[in-house]
Amino acid sequence: MADLNLNQIHKSFGALEIIKGIDLDIQSGEFVVFVGPSGCGKSTLLRMIAGLEDVSSGTLTIDGKDVTHAEPSERGIAMVFQSYALYPHMTVAENIGFGLSLAKRPKAEIAAKVQAAADTLQLTHLLERKPKALSGGQRQRVAIGRAIVRDPKVFLFDEPLSNLDASLRAQMRLELSELHARLKTTMVYVTHDQVEAMTMADRIVVLNGGRVEQVGTPMELYNHPATPFVAGFIGSPKMNLYTGPFAERLGCKTYGIRPEHIRVSEDSGDWRGQVRHVERLGADAILYLDVEEASSMMVRLAGDTQLRPGDTVWASPQDSAAHRFAA
Amino acid sequence: MIQSHPHSRKSPYPFWFFLPAAVIYGVLFLVPTVTSLWYSLTRWDLMTAQFIGLENFRQFFSEPFLVRGLFNTLVYALVTSGLKTVFGLLLAVLLSGQIFARGFLRTVVFFPVLVSSIGIGITFTVMMHPTRGIINEALGLIGIPGPGWLTNPSLALLSVALVDLWKGVGLATLIFIAGLATISPDYYEASRIDGATRRQQFWRITLPLVRPATVTVITLSLIGGLRSFDLIWAMTQGGPGFSSDVIASVVYKQYQAGFYGLSTAGNVILFLLVGIIILPLTFWFNRREVDQ
Amino acid sequence: MKQSRSLASGIVALIVATVIFILPFLFIALQAVKSKSEASRLNFALPKEWLFWENLVAVVEARNYQLLLAYFNSTVITVFSVSILVILSAMVGYVMQRRQSRWNGVAQVALLMGLMMPPAVVPTIGLLQSIGLFKTMTGMILIQVAYNISFSTLLYRSFIATIPRDLDEAARIDGAKPWQIFFRVILPLLKPVTVTNVVVQSIFVFNDFTNPLYYLPGRENITVQLTLYNFQSTYTSQYNLLFMNILLVTIPPLIVFIFFNRQIVTGMTAGAVKG
Repeated sequence: MADLNLNQIHKSFGALEIIKGIDLDIQSGEFVVFVGPSGCGKSTLLRMIAGLEDVSSGTLTIDGKDVTHAEPSERGIAMVFQSYALYPHMTVAENIGFGLSLAKRPKAEIAAKVQAAADTLQLTHLLERKPKALSGGQRQRVAIGRAIVRDPKVFLFDEPLSNLDASLRAQMRLELSELHARLKTTMVYVTHDQVEAMTMADRIVVLNGGRVEQVGTPMELYNHPATPFVAGFIGSPKMNLYTGPFAERLGCKTYGIRPEHIRVSEDSGDWRGQVRHVERLGADAILYLDVEEASSMMVRLAGDTQLRPGDTVWASPQDSAAHRFAA
Repeated sequence: MIQSHPHSRKSPYPFWFFLPAAVIYGVLFLVPTVTSLWYSLTRWDLMTAQFIGLENFRQFFSEPFLVRGLFNTLVYALVTSGLKTVFGLLLAVLLSGQIFARGFLRTVVFFPVLVSSIGIGITFTVMMHPTRGIINEALGLIGIPGPGWLTNPSLALLSVALVDLWKGVGLATLIFIAGLATISPDYYEASRIDGATRRQQFWRITLPLVRPATVTVITLSLIGGLRSFDLIWAMTQGGPGFSSDVIASVVYKQYQAGFYGLSTAGNVILFLLVGIIILPLTFWFNRREVDQ
Repeated sequence: MKQSRSLASGIVALIVATVIFILPFLFIALQAVKSKSEASRLNFALPKEWLFWENLVAVVEARNYQLLLAYFNSTVITVFSVSILVILSAMVGYVMQRRQSRWNGVAQVALLMGLMMPPAVVPTIGLLQSIGLFKTMTGMILIQVAYNISFSTLLYRSFIATIPRDLDEAARIDGAKPWQIFFRVILPLLKPVTVTNVVVQSIFVFNDFTNPLYYLPGRENITVQLTLYNFQSTYTSQYNLLFMNILLVTIPPLIVFIFFNRQIVTGMTAGAVKG
């Protein structure tokens, strides 16, 4: 357990600045998710925390100790890679115990620790297999096991679920949350998937263009996005965002309203529009409207709506849920 | 925001990994290559070297048999490279098609590549014997008087080149087969729908798309041809007379005779020849690649 | 009609290719088992008596068991030079592939020179003499390393490009030092290309004639290819023994080829198609 502090962290490759000064305090035991579109610098930032990328300037401390220029293995971190990076020529047991064997720990101690990690992750029956003989989910667990035996102060995850199919991903989200609840270790998790961020994070860090856009709990970001970027990134389906005359009439530079905060009526309301398409998801249906004043608008309705393409409807925002941005 | 970091950590890919290889390669290959430039300008007996300017090169280009060696080297390289390219491609097309005993044939064509040049050279020398050789006896059976393959001065070099083709065409074939395998069958099907004949397919699809393999074959066999020594040495030792001498055999003969400076000058000429031919060729091939 | 014609031409091509490529080997094998007088006729007639064993013994015993010494020497040179080659070139290929730096440009040029340029023989002899390695097995082994390292490095470099960098990084986080990353994680994963490399380089080195001719003269230093060259003059009247010798020299690559056909093919064509 340790806290993690980033102080004015910069990263440049030649003349190209990737990370433009990031300050961040992560509390001991927190599950923090870095989220953002590809190219926002989230993976680079994680790799700098891991020590796999040099820090161009700024300082990084783990548990109060300056590790800005320390070797990865000396930072008290463990990392789970997107590709899992299991050593193909080693068995599961050897993979999990590799770090301990490099540290020349006694054989009995290695075996005991590997066994304990395997028990936690239900890998005991697979210990003698090679990674090739494992399913995607099992490989994922081995990668986590390899991290656990290091007994790290901070766990780092680099998009660990993106190679799994949808149902397995949902299951692993749950398992990772449970793991965090049990270990209570600081975890930093990188993803481009806002669903993973919303479901697992204690706090989310939204990154954009090498800068922190906003930091907060999932519901803070959902309810009070600081910028249009965060508003558009968090929540699914995406928030409807409008600029130009439509937003100006509503008294702001950018006006945002979530699809779930719009009521639809067939006879009266604020904006008249025509149904272009109805996307039925079962419990919900997403309505795509062509609104006369504001081009396209998404509305979330109950799954049993009777509206059909071509129908004319009136949409009205729940005014308390609308977002008005000055930018 | 460019800033060098004084604390820069050690790379996980340290340069000392280069060191053992660099020492061996540097001492045993690079140093002799560089010093050869100096020694080629000297009269040299391995102990003392006396600077004589371009005398060795003047001698090299004034002795007809040495000039002959230079000329022969070019002929040998061009002939073997050309033949290997043409026959290699033909064999590769043949052995890439649906053909009976394909695997066996590929093996048979390739195996000579792995056999010692000296063994092959001696075998063919015996088979090319003008009167008792099996080749001329076979030709005699169908009424063709066989030539003195290795005894006729105007034929000896070409005979060796033919044996070189026999020994080396398997590698060219293999490279072309690998090249042909990368061409998607879709192109052939699409062009068949467009009405292309087999011949048109070869010229318009196979040949352009197999280009990287062609470049490799030409380059490799040119380099090999310019440097070739062992087959020639096993078969003719440069003879009859000096008619099949190449630079590499001249270098060896001058070395044996104790003319170390002259021998080294021959070596330098060989460097230059390889450099003058291969470098522009590679450059030209690569540029065409970019153009496409 | 057209099909049967292409089939016929296919068969003709087959026969021609077989004759051209197999007959010389048959010729070698036949002469090797004949008596001295029969072999001197140099034809394809079957031997009246098969003297395989007698000829074999005669060749092996010739010149005070020189062939056995030659096999021993060639084997030592091959084993040591190929082992050194594998380790050193894998190290170079690894760092060249993984690390961007100006040294790579230098290494690249050196690599191409090694592939292209003929060695400067007499200066090399002079140099070997001055460091006491001329006419020594050590010198010969190091020469083979120096001359073949470019090709070997090329093979490794292109293979290492297929090994994900994540593995290096995972090992780094696990606390591996650079040499541990290489020897415990990367090198074991290079096994397929190492097999290829070992096979191909062994054949190169074993078959090498020119370099032992220059750098390893002396009766006690004889190598397999040089026995052939020496016997050629001795055996002008004993073709059966000469060809038995050729047969014996041809057999090791043949055996290797039978077992490692696929690896040889991938090794020989490596990089050729990608350009």
